[in-house]
Amino acid sequence: MRTEKGILFILPALVIFAIFILFPAAQMFYYSFTQWDGLRLPKWIGLANFSRAVFVDEIFQKSFLNNVLYIIGTFVTEVAFGLGVAILLAKPFKGFGVFRTFFFAPYVISMVAAGLLWAFIYDYNFGLVNDFLSLIGLSRLARPWLGDTSTALAAVTITSGWKYAGLYMIIFYAALQQIPKQLYEAANLDGASEWKQTWYITLPLLFPALRVALLLCIAGGFAAFALFFAMTNGQPFHSTEIPSTWIIKHAFDRKNMGYGAALTLILIFVSTGISLLYLILTGRKEALS
Amino acid sequence: MTHDKTYSHLEKIGRYGILVPIICFMGYPLVWMILCSLKTNLEIFVNPWGFPSKFLYKNWEQAWVVGRLGRYYLNSIVVTVASVCLVLVVSSPAAFAFARLKFKARDFFLYLFLMGLVLAPILVLIPLYKLMRDIKLLNTYAGLILPYTGWGLALSIYLLRSFFLAIPEELQDAARIDGCSVFGIFWRIMLPLIKPALLTVAMINAINYWNELLLALIFMQKTEMRTLPAGLIFFSGQYVTNYSLVFAGLSIAIFPMLIVYFIFQRRVIAGILIGALK
Repeated sequence: MRTEKGILFILPALVIFAIFILFPAAQMFYYSFTQWDGLRLPKWIGLANFSRAVFVDEIFQKSFLNNVLYIIGTFVTEVAFGLGVAILLAKPFKGFGVFRTFFFAPYVISMVAAGLLWAFIYDYNFGLVNDFLSLIGLSRLARPWLGDTSTALAAVTITSGWKYAGLYMIIFYAALQQIPKQLYEAANLDGASEWKQTWYITLPLLFPALRVALLLCIAGGFAAFALFFAMTNGQPFHSTEIPSTWIIKHAFDRKNMGYGAALTLILIFVSTGISLLYLILTGRKEALS
Repeated sequence: MTHDKTYSHLEKIGRYGILVPIICFMGYPLVWMILCSLKTNLEIFVNPWGFPSKFLYKNWEQAWVVGRLGRYYLNSIVVTVASVCLVLVVSSPAAFAFARLKFKARDFFLYLFLMGLVLAPILVLIPLYKLMRDIKLLNTYAGLILPYTGWGLALSIYLLRSFFLAIPEELQDAARIDGCSVFGIFWRIMLPLIKPALLTVAMINAINYWNELLLALIFMQKTEMRTLPAGLIFFSGQYVTNYSLVFAGLSIAIFPMLIVYFIFQRRVIAGILIGALK
């Protein structure tokens, strides 16, 4: 239906979108070229913030590396875990409903609550991990998991895996239901083993779902903040620092808002760039239209 | 035949043998949290796995009072409900227009909104903080509701538009022939038809708003204005050595969500799936 009244229908949304997203986003470009404490007038310093971020700020570089490791870690744990369980659940069995309920339960609690709970689980003195280790006679492996630079990032990643595995399980489970049953019947007639059926039928047909899962891990990983802030906030020695926690420290604790703006733009540029590139490479442009 | 039978027995044992430990890994942390919230601090150390010797319900009571969890709950409910209502009110007419009306620059505006799908709220944090400070909206409900609405628009418009597109066009043509105005078509015909979709979109947004931390942390710095996630972090930092109290606070924050989930499971899972697979 052609009518210029259409603009009236989108006007309220457009006003809110412009004031609270478009306009501030444009301001970010200006602030990123300035030195600014948030109070006085911003002072133009050209590309100094960007060159500092890229060439000098080793912690910012490290935070990107941490973020990428986190994304890879979440993809491996969440997908392996979610996919494995989805395949196990694919055949109907007793207790399916109970199982699905419990498996998905961690997803509905907030990231902050999950992070605080797992900080207890990793506690040196009474945490479940160390208790379990001493129970099976491995108490020499006990350590303050979040306080040790070699384990902190992995510990945070596993928490994310615990929270999100249910979501990926549901995604893969839905994808499994789409696979035509005739394929398995035909394979059975040909005498293919169950393992072969999984490998040659199930996995290839799950590829589209795997691509979606990877995209969710990339986009969600770069947007991570709450879990890290609640569990470690970059400690110890920046071993769990990610760009978003580092940006907050600069912009709001140290009042380097100009520098924080530059770091934010780099983060957004990299994360949306990778997501878009991925969408184009995997031919999912239509997802955007 | 007997061979088949043993095989299926083995398979059963194998399946449960893998699934039961996984269930423990997924479910036990939550059970542990609730058990610990009912113990004394000493008992948490001495007996971390078992049931409390005496159920100390007063831990919960104390956490609710000294942790101001009631206040944080109230703030989270106000912000979440208001943001969800506002985002539905402004995004449903927009989604209808993008799906069913033709007007100048329509596709340009649609792409503009959909850009929001790939951006993250941290992008506007610094300038919005300045804006909110200048117009005196820091530490107010409106100061969080308005940006939340802005960030909910992209996903809401995108999802609602696809629901509007699924309604047969003949319906609106028939209404137009009967003399119904564009507003009438939207309000009296189209909107009632997508009621279930509105519920789904409301739920997806509500979960996002309820759990949001970044903007809530920066825009609500007064204790009495904190939302639940920010309040929980503050609370656990303040009572860092009073373990049972923090466990109780965590349980209070998580418990209602779990109850809602257990009751509305199917709808929640289906809704989350739609939101994730946008």
